[in-house]
Order: sequence, then structure tokens, then C-alpha cells
Amino acid sequence: MKVRINPDKCIACTTCVAHCPVARVTPKFLGPRMIGPAYERFRLLALAEDESLTYCANCKNCDITCPQGVPVSSINMLARAEQARKQGTTLRDWVLAHGELQAKLLQIIPASLKNFGMLNPVTRYVLDQLGIDKRAPLPAFAKKTFRQAFKKIDQGSHSRKVVFFPGCYVDVYDPQTGLDMVWAFNKAGYEVISPDEFGCCGLPMIANGFWEDGKKRANNNLAELAKWREQGITVVTGCPSCALIFRDDIPEFYPELVEKHGLGRLEDAQDFLMECVERGELDLGGIRNDTEQPIVYHAPCHLRAQGNGLPGMELLKRLPGIKPVNANAGCCGISGSYGFKKEKYDIAQEVGSELFDIVRKNPCKYASSECGTCRVQIEHGSGKKAIHPVSILRMRMEGKTDPVVDEL
Amino acid sequence: MLTKEDDPNYVEPWLEGCKNAGISAKEISVMEALELEPNLAKDIVRVFRVPDSCVDGFRLCSHNKMSATRYGAKVFFYHQVTGINQKNGKVRSVSVKNAMTGETFDIGCRYLINAAGSWAGEVAALAGLHASITPDRGTLIGFNHRFTSRVINRLHASGDGDIFVPHGSITILGTTSVPTDRPDDTRPTYEEVAELLTLGEPLFPLTREYRILRAFAGTRPLYTPGGASGRKATRNFSVVDHSKDGLEGMVSVFGGKLTTYRLMAERVTDDVCKHLGVDEPCRTAEEPLVPEPKPEMLEKAKKYFPLHAISLMAARLGDELPKVLEKAELAGNNEARATGTHITDYAGNPLLCECELVSTVEVDCVASDPDSHSLTDVRLRTRLGMGTCQGAFCSLRTIGSLAEHGIELKYPPTENVFRFLQERWKGLRPVMWGLQAREMEMGRAMYIGLLNLDGAMNEQEN
Repeated sequence: MKVRINPDKCIACTTCVAHCPVARVTPKFLGPRMIGPAYERFRLLALAEDESLTYCANCKNCDITCPQGVPVSSINMLARAEQARKQGTTLRDWVLAHGELQAKLLQIIPASLKNFGMLNPVTRYVLDQLGIDKRAPLPAFAKKTFRQAFKKIDQGSHSRKVVFFPGCYVDVYDPQTGLDMVWAFNKAGYEVISPDEFGCCGLPMIANGFWEDGKKRANNNLAELAKWREQGITVVTGCPSCALIFRDDIPEFYPELVEKHGLGRLEDAQDFLMECVERGELDLGGIRNDTEQPIVYHAPCHLRAQGNGLPGMELLKRLPGIKPVNANAGCCGISGSYGFKKEKYDIAQEVGSELFDIVRKNPCKYASSECGTCRVQIEHGSGKKAIHPVSILRMRMEGKTDPVVDEL
Repeated sequence: MLTKEDDPNYVEPWLEGCKNAGISAKEISVMEALELEPNLAKDIVRVFRVPDSCVDGFRLCSHNKMSATRYGAKVFFYHQVTGINQKNGKVRSVSVKNAMTGETFDIGCRYLINAAGSWAGEVAALAGLHASITPDRGTLIGFNHRFTSRVINRLHASGDGDIFVPHGSITILGTTSVPTDRPDDTRPTYEEVAELLTLGEPLFPLTREYRILRAFAGTRPLYTPGGASGRKATRNFSVVDHSKDGLEGMVSVFGGKLTTYRLMAERVTDDVCKHLGVDEPCRTAEEPLVPEPKPEMLEKAKKYFPLHAISLMAARLGDELPKVLEKAELAGNNEARATGTHITDYAGNPLLCECELVSTVEVDCVASDPDSHSLTDVRLRTRLGMGTCQGAFCSLRTIGSLAEHGIELKYPPTENVFRFLQERWKGLRPVMWGLQAREMEMGRAMYIGLLNLDGAMNEQEN
């Protein structure tokens, strides 16, 4: 591996340990400081990797809290890649890392059949044996992917343009959020472009140790991003993890790609819409239904890791009648595919328990969060439906109190 | 490595010297060298690979003791030789004083070996002999992590600051050479550290960026009968049979380097054997000081120790490994019984020193040894407090754990921590900048600001 992160900046203050959601609930994870900078000193001695490394959820709360600016989670992900290279990877981790590819391979099969195939008790038993916990809330395939649905939309004509990076969660499992996004941008006077060249951001691969696969995705995505950068058209995403990986991880892990294509940035779609509101492009004044509606908002860890505030929450605050409460309960526990894994399911549930409790006790009907898998986890843990802030924006702008469901 | 600052004409005579000494020196391309060691300077000129290795001085001492003890030796730590008693021109016994208890006694002997290093001259003087030993201080820098996996030497006539050695979890840069008048002058200075950093840069351009853990110093026992000093004095050793000075039954070994430690011992012992009428050949070149740990033992250890910690711990514990494993098993079982679960995740054996991966059970075992009087003694055997935080977290944690387990050391807990930290800070003072200054500030805030360690001593006295 070419990239190595110098562990010298860590002064062992253990602030990260105090804020690590995983270390708090299980002794199996020795904590970010130990697994990150402390073990890095021993990795340089070429000692065998400790099992504990696999318990890092890559939620990045260590990076957020470190007063010395140590990229702890990056050290862990590099070590995991090395571990995968030396000891191999499991079929289970491949399955969880390559959801996008599986969706592509299965695309000729109708969703209902796919879902019957994937989510019936027999398959779940087999997956459980493979290491995907049978209790885990595996998301169902959507009837159509976002890409398929997007092509059928009549956007009307708009003078301004914006490029939308859907991310694989929206594309495969949750096209509605993507459609709401397109609706909102159209309302603000933007034509939405969503090129087929954009694939998975690569994070699920990196987090599961599939380093080269992650690199391939980064290469394709950066090449596509460069095109739009040259044309001066902003590229946005509604998924904080996708945005984060382009901002932090890719330059750190694959500097040679950044050298080749230049920095690729995904802007936060919510932030962009807020600016549209500020510029008067998106008029929230026309919202007539101001029925009071409480919403518990959960800030995804990967959003907080960007240090860019909570634009999704700000957007909700601007909606007449919406009273968003920031759950402020830390990590939901899911961390992408982490909480689906058999040995980690209980850990993930315990990590998220504080959040579930807040959502459950709040009189709200809906919770809200930008991150797809956070929403899956909130629904699983609290029993309440969780929707994207932009879906709430559309719902209220269309005068409704329940989310809009488009025909697919 | 021949850097652009080194004389290229030195290469040929050096290669000739290697050939004559039977040392292989194979030139490799600079590109290959950079592939092997990516942190090396890109502008190095020529690179030769030679067989090299390094030794852990701490481990060497304790393993030497273990090996000797197995053969029936008795080792006295913290005992000072106060007199060499002779009768009819022959050494009969030595008088020693236990520095910890003040107790004095005599140890009878048929033969006395003076291998006191920098103190060899003073010991010889106790027998009324004169030996020109000039202590020469050498300062070294310990960096927080390994940025080289191989020993890297400058290709030039031996000088200051020309060697980087990967040593366990750290990298060491050495060494200076400063004449001193005291064998125990082991205080590194800021000036020497600054000089070393400058000298190290042609090999590793980021030398100043890497975090310095500490600086440390030792004295070389230069044997200078002719009056040479510093770099000019020979690093060779001399075995001196004092019968030529009219004293029977005493041999001294003067000069030398740790590199030739085993050879010195062989020469001296062969000499003594001759006098004692023993003709057994020396086996130290073939026989390891401590046996390799058994694979099944290491396998079993996985239950009680983090994986990274095991090989390091096994390597330093030597003969004591089975005892520590047995204790870990006991602690694990006790913990499992107390919590009503099965043994998982190193139960009952948490790490006390997270930087160097030293666990509770290992510390307990070493601290229970009658030769351990202080946290520093525990450190020398385990590496407790020798990593990134330089004792900031582990000293407090360890003293609490020892108290909880009823293991008493010579010094009371507060004084023990105080002494331990003073010793750690001795190495930090000459390098108080950059990242290590942040570490030091945190340690200072904890021990001085929060725990009032400097004032607490006085309060107890009142």
C-alpha cells in the first residue's frame, strides 16, 4: 500500500475513546486510539492484525472529536484494506459492499420477485449463515431504480442546471428521495442532470476492505465530476456519506486519482436548496398548509464529520408548521452495512438505542435524516418512518402532511 | 547510504575493508532502496546492503540474567561493590552494599571479573589498580514510530548522527560523542539533540517532522591507555589479566561496544576457565539466552492478550512467559466467575500501558519479583511508559492497579509515580517542542495541575 498515515499527531488524550459509540457498548472494540494511531506503530512492525479492527464502524466520530486532527478512521480503513489484502475477504462482506453491482445484475428481474428472493425466511436463513443477521432490516429493492424513474420525468424547461449524484442507496432502494430532490430543484428553477456514469461512491467497498474496487469507483466518478467542473455546473448529493468520501477519503486514500482528475466535490443538496431559498429561487412563502407537525431530526455522523453545520435541519426549520427537534443522540449504529452483520447487529442496536428512544417518545409521526441507512436503522429501532428532509420539503410545499409517493 | 554530503572516494576503501572483513556489501539501485524504504532522501547517491541487526538492550540484560540463573548464577541488582578484598596477592572476596536497604556483606570468590563498563576504572581502583577509562557520553533520539524497517547508516568515516535504527515500535537516531568525567553522566542536552537532527536530515529529510519521544544518553567506557579520546579512541575491547599487575584472581574487560558484548564475554570467560582448569568450549554463540516460546503457548495466549501484544510480550518475558500466562488464565477465570460469563476479550487482564501494550497480569508478575523496587524497574522489563504518552496515562493506572492487587514496591505509590515521571521527563526536557510538547503539556496538566504531584509530597510530610 502506498499511502500511510503518520501516527505521530496522536497525544493519547483518549477524547476519541470517550466519544466512540462502539467502544462505549462493547469491549470487543479496543477503541479508536488503540486501533488507530496506537496500533499503527505496531503495524509498522509488521505484526498480525487484531480482530478488534473489524469492529470499527467507520462512523468517524473519532475524527470529529480529535483535538489534534488525527484522521483516526482513515488509519483504520487503510489497515482494514491491508488486512483484507493479507487475509482475504468474506463472501458476506463482498455482498454487503457490492449492493449496486448486485442490483445491476438483477435488474431484469422484477423487484417483487427480487425482494421475495432476497427477503423470504429461507434466504434470510442462508444470509444469516453467511453472516448477515436475520433480524437486520435489509432494505427492499425498489420497483424501479431512480435512474429508470428519472428518465421518465418531464422536468419542464429551466434556465439553470444542476447535476445530481444520487448515490447507490437512492438509486437502488429509495428512488422516491431522488424524485423529491428533482421536484425541489425543478421548483427552484433548475433542470436536473443525473448522468448514468455516476456509480456508487465506493464507501461500502472501502469500509469492507475492497480497496481496489473503491478505487475503480473513485476513478470513474472523479472523471465524470471533472467534466461538470469544467462546465461550471454544481454537482449535489443528498447523501452525506457520498459527499464526505469525495471531500476527505478519496484525496487521502487515492492521491494519484486526484492528481489525474483534480479534486471532485459533491455539494450538499440541502445546503444548495437553502441557498436557493436565500436567493429567492425557491419560494417557501407559498406554503399554505401550516399544520403543526413535530419532526425528530437525526444528524448523520458523516454529515457532522464534514463540519458544515446541519443544512438539512436548517431547511426543515424554514418550513412553516414544521417543528424539527435535533435528536442529538450521536450515532444511530448502522454505519452503512456494519449493523447488518451478525456479530455486530446487537452492538448497532445498542449504539442506536438512545436515538430510538428519543424518536419513540417524541409525538412525531416521522423522523428525518439525510442518510439512507440511518433512516433504515431509525425505522427498525423506533418503529416510526424516517424520511429525507427534502422529502419533507416537497410534502409541505405540496400542502400535505404525509410524504408524497410517486407512481414508479 | 552515500549521501550527496559524503565523500564518494570513501566507497572504494570501505568496500575493500568489507571484503577483508568477510562482510558482504551489495550495491542496489537508489530506486530499489526507495522502494524498500520510501522515507529515505530521494537524492541519495549510492546504496549498499550489508548484513546488520539491532539489539534490545533492556531485554538483553534481563535475558542474560535468566540464562545465567538457569546455570546456577546468583544476580544482585542495586548492589554496589565497595571493596575488593585480597590476601597474599590474590582476590578472596568483594564487599558489596545493597543500595536499597543499606545492608553490607561480603561475597567470597575464586575469581573476580570486572566488567563494569564505564565504571571499570573505579572498580579496578578498589583493587589498587589503575586503568585509563574515559567515559564518553553519547546522546540518542527516540522517535515515536518506525519510519524505517532496516538499520540505515551513512557511508562515511564513523561520525556523529549517522545511524537510524528501528527498535521495536520506535526509531532511534544516534549518536553523539562528548567526553565526560562521570560514568553516570546520562543527561542528554538540547544542543546534542539539535545537532543530531541536522545530521540526520541527509538520510531522512523529514527527520525534523517526525515526533521525538525523548532523548537519552549513555556513556561509552573508552579505554584510553595512550591518551586518545572521543572519536579517535578505539572502540575495541581489551581483556586484562591483572596477574601482570601482581594481583591474582582478577580479570578486567575494558572498552568495547555493545555490538561486541557476547564476544567480550566469551573471551573473558575462556580466560577465567583457563585459570579454573575448565576446558568446556564456550557455547554462547549457538545457544539463545532464552528459549523460543512454544507455538501452543502463543495460541493459548490469544484468549487473554490482544493479538499485537503477544509476540512482543513473549519476546521480552523469556523464561517468565509460562508464569504470566498461568496468571492470565487465573485472572480470566476469576473474572468470568465474578461476572457469570465465559472468558472473552481479555477479561481480567486489561492493558495498563496502551502505547506499548503492557497488560495488568504482566505488570503484576514483574512487580512481584523481589528485584522490582519501583515503577521504573517494572518499566525496564516491560516497556511500560516507554511509548507515545511517556507514562502520562499508564503510571497512574499502574500504581492504582498494583495497590488494588496488594503488590507493594519499595517506594509508596505517590513517590513511586513522582520518581517514575521525573525519570520520563528527564528525556523529554531536551526535546520540548512540536508534538511532544503537546504531550508533555497534557502530562503536566494532569500531574501538576490536577493531581498536584509536586505539592503532594510536601503535604504528606507535614
